[in-house]
Amino acid sequence: MPYDHGFPDEIAWRGLVERFGYRMWAVARAYGLSPSDAADAVQAAWLRLVENYHSVRDLDRLGAWLVTTTRHEAIRIGKKRGDQLPGLPDDLPASDGDPVAVMLTEDEGRRLWAAVDTLREPCRSLLRLLVTAPEAGYAQISRRLDMPIGSIGPTRGRCLKRLRSIMEEQQR
Amino acid sequence: MSDDYLLAALRVAAGTDPMPARVAADARGAFGLHLPGAVTATPVAVPPAPAGGYGTRSGTRADRRSYQDLPTRIWSDGCPLDGESRLLRFAVDGLTIDVEVAICDSHFDLAGQVHPAPGEGTRVEIRTPYVSKVRYPSEAGEFATTGLPHGWLSVVCHRPAHPPVATRWHRVRP
Repeated sequence: MPYDHGFPDEIAWRGLVERFGYRMWAVARAYGLSPSDAADAVQAAWLRLVENYHSVRDLDRLGAWLVTTTRHEAIRIGKKRGDQLPGLPDDLPASDGDPVAVMLTEDEGRRLWAAVDTLREPCRSLLRLLVTAPEAGYAQISRRLDMPIGSIGPTRGRCLKRLRSIMEEQQR
Repeated sequence: MSDDYLLAALRVAAGTDPMPARVAADARGAFGLHLPGAVTATPVAVPPAPAGGYGTRSGTRADRRSYQDLPTRIWSDGCPLDGESRLLRFAVDGLTIDVEVAICDSHFDLAGQVHPAPGEGTRVEIRTPYVSKVRYPSEAGEFATTGLPHGWLSVVCHRPAHPPVATRWHRVRP
C-alpha cells in the first residue's frame, strides 16, 4: 500500500520531533542502552513512522505509537547486544495514560523536577543523587546520605512511587 | 511505567542525560527519506544455507549459483574475508530483493539481487540516512556497492511503470 497518504509536511514533522523526541530518548535510555544504541532505537522509530504513517489510524495517539515503537526497537537492540539492564522485563507496560509517559516536553520536565522538590528527605536527596551521579554506587550513596546500604533500594522504590502519585494527582 | 523509565526521564529533564543534538537532527532528517507512493518489502525467511555455508566469503560465484542465485559480491579493502556477513531477503507483490552485507570495522559493503530479473530502465537505490547510492542492476538483477556507514539501511528498486519498492529499514552494525 502506498505510504504517503496524508504524510505531514516538513514543518509538521519537525513539530513531532520537538514534541516527542525527548520522551523517545528517555524510553531508549531507560532500557539501559548506550547513547549510541539509544540513538539507533530512536532513529528506527522515526524511520518506521516514515514507512508506516498510512497505518497509524489515530493521529492523536501518534506519541504513544512512537514511544511504543522506540521501546520495541530498544528491546530488539538490547537483546542483540545482550546487555539489557539486569532484571528488566522483556516488555514494559504500555505508556498510554501514564502521567509520566505522556510528559517530557521541556515544560513538563520542569514540572517533574518541581514534584521532586516537594518530596521529603531522604527522597529528595536520594533521587537527586541517583539522577545527577548515576555512577555513584550504593556504598557512596550510603555515606553521602548516612543511610544503611540495605535500605537504599527499598527507599528508592518508595520515593519513585511517591513521585508517581504526585504526578498522577497533578493530572487530575 | 517502570522505575527505570522514571529515572531516565528525570535524567533527561535534568540535562545530565540530554538528548544528543544529532539524535534530533537524524529525526528531522528522516522526513527526507519519505518515498511518495512506495510500497514496503518486508523481511522473509532466507532458505537455510547448505552445509559449509553459501560460500559467500570464500566460495566462487559458481558455488553460489549451484545453490541459488545469490548476489555477486564486491568486498572492499579492509573488510576481512572471515568477518561477519549477513544475508537478508525482502519481498512484496512478487518482487524479491536479496541483500548480503559484509560488516567491516569502519563500514559495510553490500551486494544484492532483484528477482525476477528487472527490465530495462530499472535502478536500485541503496539508502542509509546519510548516503544514497544509485546502481543500475545487471541483466540478472545484481548490484553492489562498498563503503556504507554503519547504521540503518534500505534498498529501493525503481522500475518503470511500477511504484518504487523499498525494503524495510534494517540495522547493520558490528
